[in-house]
Formats: sequence, C-alpha cells, structure tokens
Amino acid sequence: MQSVELVIENRSGLHARPGKVFCLRAAQWTSAVRLENLTRGAGPVDAKSILGLLTLGVSQGQRVRLTTEGSDEAAALADLVALIQDGLGEGETSTV
Amino acid sequence: MTRAKPAATTARPGPVRLSGTPGSPGIAIGPIWRYQATTGFAGGDAGGRPAEISISDAATLAAIQLEGLAGRVRTLGRAEEAEILEAQALMAADSLLIGEAERLAGERGSGTASVVAGAVIDSAAALAAQLAAIDDEVLAARAADVRDVGGRIAGIILRRTVETPATGSIAVADDLPPTVTVELPPGALAGIATEAGTRTAHAAILARALGIPAVVGVSGLGEAIDGATHDGADAPLQVAIDGDTGEVIVAPGRREIRVLESRRRALVASRRTAQALPRGPGATADGQPVRLLANIGRPDEADGAIEAGAEGVGLFRTEFMYMGRSVAPSEDEQVEAYQSVLARFGPDRPVVIRLADIGGDKAVPYLGIAADANPFLGVRGLRLAYTPMRSLLVTQIRAISRAGKIAGAVPHVMAPMVATLEDVQLLAELRAEAEAGLDADGVPRSDRMVTGIMVEVPAAALLADRLAPHVEFFSIGTNDLTQYVLAADRTSASLGSLQDALHPAVLALVQATALAAQSAGISVAVCGQLASDPLGALVLVGLGVGELSMEPASLDATRYALHSHASEELRELAQRALAAETAAQVREMAFRPS
Repeated sequence: MQSVELVIENRSGLHARPGKVFCLRAAQWTSAVRLENLTRGAGPVDAKSILGLLTLGVSQGQRVRLTTEGSDEAAALADLVALIQDGLGEGETSTV
Repeated sequence: MTRAKPAATTARPGPVRLSGTPGSPGIAIGPIWRYQATTGFAGGDAGGRPAEISISDAATLAAIQLEGLAGRVRTLGRAEEAEILEAQALMAADSLLIGEAERLAGERGSGTASVVAGAVIDSAAALAAQLAAIDDEVLAARAADVRDVGGRIAGIILRRTVETPATGSIAVADDLPPTVTVELPPGALAGIATEAGTRTAHAAILARALGIPAVVGVSGLGEAIDGATHDGADAPLQVAIDGDTGEVIVAPGRREIRVLESRRRALVASRRTAQALPRGPGATADGQPVRLLANIGRPDEADGAIEAGAEGVGLFRTEFMYMGRSVAPSEDEQVEAYQSVLARFGPDRPVVIRLADIGGDKAVPYLGIAADANPFLGVRGLRLAYTPMRSLLVTQIRAISRAGKIAGAVPHVMAPMVATLEDVQLLAELRAEAEAGLDADGVPRSDRMVTGIMVEVPAAALLADRLAPHVEFFSIGTNDLTQYVLAADRTSASLGSLQDALHPAVLALVQATALAAQSAGISVAVCGQLASDPLGALVLVGLGVGELSMEPASLDATRYALHSHASEELRELAQRALAAETAAQVREMAFRPS
C-alpha cells in the first residue's frame, strides 16, 4: 500500500469535470484507489466511483490523502499524482 | 375464415376527428409519441410483475443511453451539456449506486419491478441528499443529476417506454417546450400535434424548421387519445395530421388514411414543381433581386440551409444554446458554435447572429431572472443588459467577434427587443465593451462587425427613421410585431384570429420601417413567419422589403412565388393591402394577385 497527501489546486475542485477525469483514470489501474478528504474529514471512498468522489466534496485548496493498493500501486500513485498536479484537465477558465 | 369482428368492448373506438390551427404544412400519419410535462414520459408500467432485468443490467443500459445522448449533443456543438451527460453516464454505471440499490432491494424482499425500481430511486435520492448537504452550488446541481439517473434506471426496470420516439412518430403534447425539442434526434418525428399553442408557438416553428407537418391548438386532443388508449388494444395508437387544414384524426380508419394519402401525394407533386426551379438567388419575374435567407436554431441546421439554396442566414437564433442545461454556455463553447456556421457560409454569404432572446416564453431558470407578470412585456432580449445579466450579452458579442476572426467572415450581430434610441446606444456600448475587453486580453477578434436590430416593438417601427442612421440593418420580426400591435399574446390559442401578420396595422409599420431603411441606405429584412408564407412574401417585397429569412423548408415555395410575379405587380398588391380594412380582406386579395 502506498499513499500521499496533496492539495487540490484547481478551480472547481473534484466536482464536475475534474472528478470525472480522475475517476476514469483511477479505473484504468488494477490497484484499489482510495481518496480521503482530510480538510472536511470525509471518506476514504473508492476513487473509481464518481459518486463516491463527489460525496467527498473536495473544493479548491482542500487537502486529500490518495492511497493505492495492488500489483501496480506505485505506477498508479505516480500517474494519479501527476494528473492532479496537471490540473485534472481543467485548462483555461471560462467566462460567464 | 370468419368475418367476426372482436367484441365491441375490446375494439378500438372509431376515428375521432378534431381540428386545430395549421402550424406547418404537409400530411403525416404515424404512431403517437406522447409527451407530458408533469410526468415526463408516459408509457407502459410493469410495476406489479417480477423485475425482468437486474439492477446492474438496467444501469448499464442507462449508461449506454446517456453516452449516446452525450454524443448527439456534442455533435450539435453543445460541449458543456455533453460533459454533464457523460458524467451522468458514469454515475449510472457507478458501483456505489448499484451496490446500495441492490442491498436495499434485497432488504425489501419482494422482487417485483416496482420494489426494485423503488430501491434504485431511494438509493439515488440518498446519495443526492448527501451531495446536497455539502454546502456547494456545483454539487447541488450534481445532486439533481444523480436523482435524474436514478429515475432513468428505474424507468428501464419498470419497462417505461424509452424517452426517444420511434422514427416516424407524431409527437402529441399539451405543448412541446423548446427544452424538450432540442433533445430529440433529427428524423425521429414525422409530425407534431399540440393541444396548446398557435402558429408562432415554438412547436410550430420547430416543425417548419424540420420540414414536418404540425397542427397546434387542437382542443380535446389529450382526452381523445386517453379515450382511445384505454381500450387494451396492443397495436400502437396512430394519429393522422393535416398541417394545411388543421385536421387531426386519432385512430384513423382505412378510409381516412386512404383519403389523406392521396392528398399527401398531390401535395408532394406540387411541391416538386416548386423544387424543380433552379435554386439560384431569389428574384421577382422582372429580375428585382430579393435575398432569400435561412432561419436556423442550431449549428447542425447550416448544411440543410445551404442545400435548400439559402443565400445566407438571416436569423441564427442562439437561445437554444442557453436552454436544456444547468449553466450558461462558456465563451469558448459559443465561439465553437458560431464559428462553425460562419465558416460553413463563408465570407460571401452573411450570417446574422441574434443575441440570446431569452425571457418571454423562453425562460432560462439558471439565470435567475425574476419572472415578470407578463413575460412578453418584461425583461427579455436586449433588456437583459439592464439587469445583472448584462455580462451574458457582452460574453456573447465577444464570442461572435472571435468566431468571425477564426472563420474569416464578417459576423452580423442583431439585437432583439429594441424599443428606443437608448436601446440602440446600449447595443453600441456592449459591442465597444466586448471589443475593448478582447483587445485588453490580447485575444484576436474580427476587425469588422455589422450590427443591426430587430424591429418588433411598435415604438421602433414608428421611429424607424430616427433609429436607421445608427444601425447597419433592420430585421422585422413580424411574429412579435403582430402580438404587440394587436395586443394579442402569441401563445394564446383562443386569440388565433388576432395573430395574423397580414393585418393592415402591421403592414403599415412594415412599410414605415422599409421606407426608413431605404432612405438611410441600410438593408431591411423580415425574419418572421410572414416571410415564409408565399402570399406574405409577395406583400412584403411589394412594401419594399429586400431580404426574406425563413425556415429552409419554405425557401423553394417562396422562390417560386417571387419568380412568378413582377415587382410592379407586387407594389400594387402591397398598396391595396395597406388600404384594406381587415386582415381577412388582405388574405382575399393576396389569394388573387391581379
């Protein structure tokens, strides 16, 4: 089992699209992927479930603990951390 | 072989004839697709029987449906809505939801479809409540999405009919709101019949855009169908509609079908004559050019408009971008939609993009616009700029300017609901603000933008000579102009006779507007329903209107009508129409242009 703590920096947290992006990527790994919202004290939940992720209510600036466990746990953790650091596919902010 | 008929109690009742207002020409016969606003989608209910599909299979089906819907919406250029549907597809296949629903169903013992469906609905509701409890606006919207997904899965378990109509169906509804019609796949509907509404209701406009027949304002329609549905027959109930006469026949017999079929063939034959004319630019018999343009409501209608021979787009309605969704479209999403249409028509065929005409009968809940007691006289169209929603219009103009740059075409922007010179000045301010903002952000924009206004408020028509020097074109919206001049709500079915745009009072304002445009040297178009009525088109051109914009399906008939009359003849016809005492008199003379 491997785990790391990090802060979610992107604008809409893990709510809308970023949550979907994260969930889909987590589902690609064999290892179990769990996420806990340390700021709100919610979880841990199965990060391969979009509804589980949403119930964590992770907003911008909140601290989470990401845990992977299984045959590809090291690669999975590195990949998911990189994804979060890249902003979870949330590029340019939109107006309105 | 016996000739015995089934017992009278199980026989389907004979045909029921009803009549309404013709909404869109043509004849159609097909199975009913019933839409009811309060209950969503009506259909069979397998509630008491054991569930025939597992929760996880139903969930997979729901996910596939949602993926399909997302794909369709994405091809329409509505990327953000597609995102939401894709997220819903993920939710439908979510282990948390399925696991909880299975646990709950097991706990409740009975395996009937209604118990299983209830377990899904309750599990989704519990998850939704959990999301709603987190103090966050975005998650509150997701909570509604989860409940919606639960309802969809439950519907599959209960074997409710799927929400998309079978190809060739006739939509039957009290009223078809625009939010529903945008969801329907092209080609699904063969016709539309509504109990409410008038010729200018959105259901009718949509039908004309799709080139399918429609009858609106059919009183007693729902009742007749309920009566015919409760007889226990297995075959789907049929309905026949005649969009030229307004006739609707529920459960038509063989004889009715034969009569309608032969009329339909005759109609198709006469339409072919009009279509046989080369699809060149519009002109009168003596060669006076009349630009024939298309009204479109979605980017994917551009191809059809070009095929129909449109010389440009006289009205690109953008409000459809704002409907059927939970957040306003982003600037980038709008750029994509406008750019695709501008590029399709190229630099030589103008595309007039109308700023969102929200309000009136086109409510958009997420904008939080307070409901006016009379929405048609309230905050709608350009008037949004007098509210905190002003930025919405600035964003839209920014998107249009950016789209013009990308497509290499000069975009035309048109403001709806302009009443006064102050409104015209406001439009100029919005444009200046949008362009200055783009320049400050270093975003490339179109150097040129042609700005014009809709003339649909009587005040604007009466003072058209004073507005003309400040704009680059007029486009007369005869539907709204008629409702404001005659003080007759265009959605009121009982006021149908007061909604005739050929009323001399309306024509007098059209003439004033056309004269003002001519002396200021700007172009004047009509983008209302009257332009697609071949007789209306003749009168309009006679009054000095130089461009007619209509649903692409009406272009052939209008081109043909213009081609058959000389401009002098039309001017004389227009003078007689202006001098008439009633709309009925105008209709009489229009039918017999001397």
